[in-house]
Amino acid sequence: MDVHNLIFQGADYHYKGKLDEAISKFQAAVKMDPQNEYAHNQLGILYAKKERFDAALSEFLKVTQIDERNTYALLWLGILYMKQGNLDQGFARFQRIIEIDPTNADAYYFMGAIYNFRHNTARGIDYLKKARDADSDEPDTHYRLAQAFHNLDMTANAHLEYQRSLVLKPSYTKAINGIGWIYYNRGDRSAAIAEWKKILKINPKDRDAIFNLAKAYNDLAWEAKERGQTKEAISYWKKTLGVDPKNKAALSYLKKYLGREP
Amino acid sequence: MMDRRRFLKWVGKGILSSSGVWLGTRSIAWGKSAFDYALEGQDLIAAKRFAEARDVLMEAVRLDPTSDWAHGLLGRAYHGLNQNAEAVEAFRKAVRLNPADTYSRMMIEIITQKPINKLKKPPQPLSPLEKKAKAEEEAMLGNLSSEGGLTYQVKRVVIDPGHGGFDSGAVGPTGLKEKDVALDLAQRVNQEIAKTGKIKSFLTRTDDYYIPLSDRTVIANQYQADLFVSIHINANENRKAQGCETYFCSETASSKEAARVAAFENAVLQYDEPFKKRPGYIDIEQILFHFERRLYWKESGKFAGTFQNHFQQALPFKSRGVHSANFFVLRRAKMPSILLETGFISNHAEESELKKVSVRDKIAAAVVRGIFHGRA
Repeated sequence: MDVHNLIFQGADYHYKGKLDEAISKFQAAVKMDPQNEYAHNQLGILYAKKERFDAALSEFLKVTQIDERNTYALLWLGILYMKQGNLDQGFARFQRIIEIDPTNADAYYFMGAIYNFRHNTARGIDYLKKARDADSDEPDTHYRLAQAFHNLDMTANAHLEYQRSLVLKPSYTKAINGIGWIYYNRGDRSAAIAEWKKILKINPKDRDAIFNLAKAYNDLAWEAKERGQTKEAISYWKKTLGVDPKNKAALSYLKKYLGREP
Repeated sequence: MMDRRRFLKWVGKGILSSSGVWLGTRSIAWGKSAFDYALEGQDLIAAKRFAEARDVLMEAVRLDPTSDWAHGLLGRAYHGLNQNAEAVEAFRKAVRLNPADTYSRMMIEIITQKPINKLKKPPQPLSPLEKKAKAEEEAMLGNLSSEGGLTYQVKRVVIDPGHGGFDSGAVGPTGLKEKDVALDLAQRVNQEIAKTGKIKSFLTRTDDYYIPLSDRTVIANQYQADLFVSIHINANENRKAQGCETYFCSETASSKEAARVAAFENAVLQYDEPFKKRPGYIDIEQILFHFERRLYWKESGKFAGTFQNHFQQALPFKSRGVHSANFFVLRRAKMPSILLETGFISNHAEESELKKVSVRDKIAAAVVRGIFHGRA
């Protein structure tokens, strides 16, 4: 069997989720053609899926030894180094990709994400904008860009990017969560609550949405209580329990103001 | 357009494959159908007449944009002409129409292993929100270019006075309450930070009311905080126990005592569900999530060391060092976070020190120094 057939069969097995069969085809392919970058890259991905991360790393390193400009292998090396928690090695690979290919959206994305993790959001924005401009169809890029803008109080940009991520992936609950906070911090609590309720329709167990709603209702309850509107406060604490039945604040204040267990 | 990263994820999902069969119906019109053009294109590719193949295949996809087969063939024609950006675009359309098209998938992966030129998209008119965002960005452009490096940056801090309301926390021998000392210290820290004007600070509570643990980290996330500092006063059944210590979050407790403190502060139902791993799938966002969390924990450890050093230098309390434990209040924060135990309220001498304004000022000043020390 020729190497091209082995590769096609390996790719087909891979897409069918038959990882062991795919590995055996690609192993045969690299035996026949040790310089085949695609086959080594596929083996790298397959090993990673089998959680054989050292073997995966070794395959991608082989590719970069064959051709150090193979950006696919460099990208996965960067990802695997990040998986190991090795910031410097990961960062260096993404930087190298950008030197080779200044339009590589993935490398910009990971660089932007790393700067975001360091809370250097200005740099994060710089890289994530490049990722977005190189490929505007990636919801995660828009989401992380939105987060960075949000951190700098650039709420119009944050809102826009959250929305863009939702256009591409309407179930992106983290983006809805972010829009909720923009509304909340602007004082539009009902709009914020409506956003977080949307999340619960997508995932009724979403902990961010549950805790955000509980906090919002608790805030409203406490404010009502401070105004002397105990009845209103009670109705909000009940709403808190509607989303978070074990919320200690709502349970305790309801017990206190109702004079009994809620 | 489907990009490489999304494609990698898609590959990771192991979508079923088929051989890319023509699914459209043959037109009964008088002229040539999309199928006829595609068939002709296929023959031209086989004859290596790629430019002619491209032209007839463009006609095929114009007549039937839903034909993954025609798009796949167009991709091959472009590839034969070394127009790799156009080839990838055509193969991606084929895969989008038929995720099981193994050949087109493989071609995308092979071509995109190396850099290719990108196709330019025509500019679109701006929406009202886009115009607003553009104006905002222009107004803040100066700020955006002013920072650099991978040093962790702190521009916003959330200060969390522990306990409150019906939850008094620990109570000293003469009745001093942890919740009151914690609130007073937090307010002092907040005021000191405000005076500097360098970073923004927020309090999780400003009065004597109870907020659950979950709300405290929600507030930190609400303000997109870069650092979360929870202020507590320690207590022990042994009234001789004394000193100040700093905790940060980690998966396992650094000592039995750290585990005990975490268990005391965590007196709440935990919501975290174990991460459900999907076999045969690489979740890149999950890798990033774990990477981010590890970085924050590492950074929290550094902050904890800094805070404890400042306590050791400035406070009239013995230093009990830095510890790590799995605190609920710290774990859900999406930023480095630490928990300070500024003395033992259960110790008679330290309770009396904690009543003094001068000691509280010293504690607040040490906390502020800890915050600024970690700031680039």
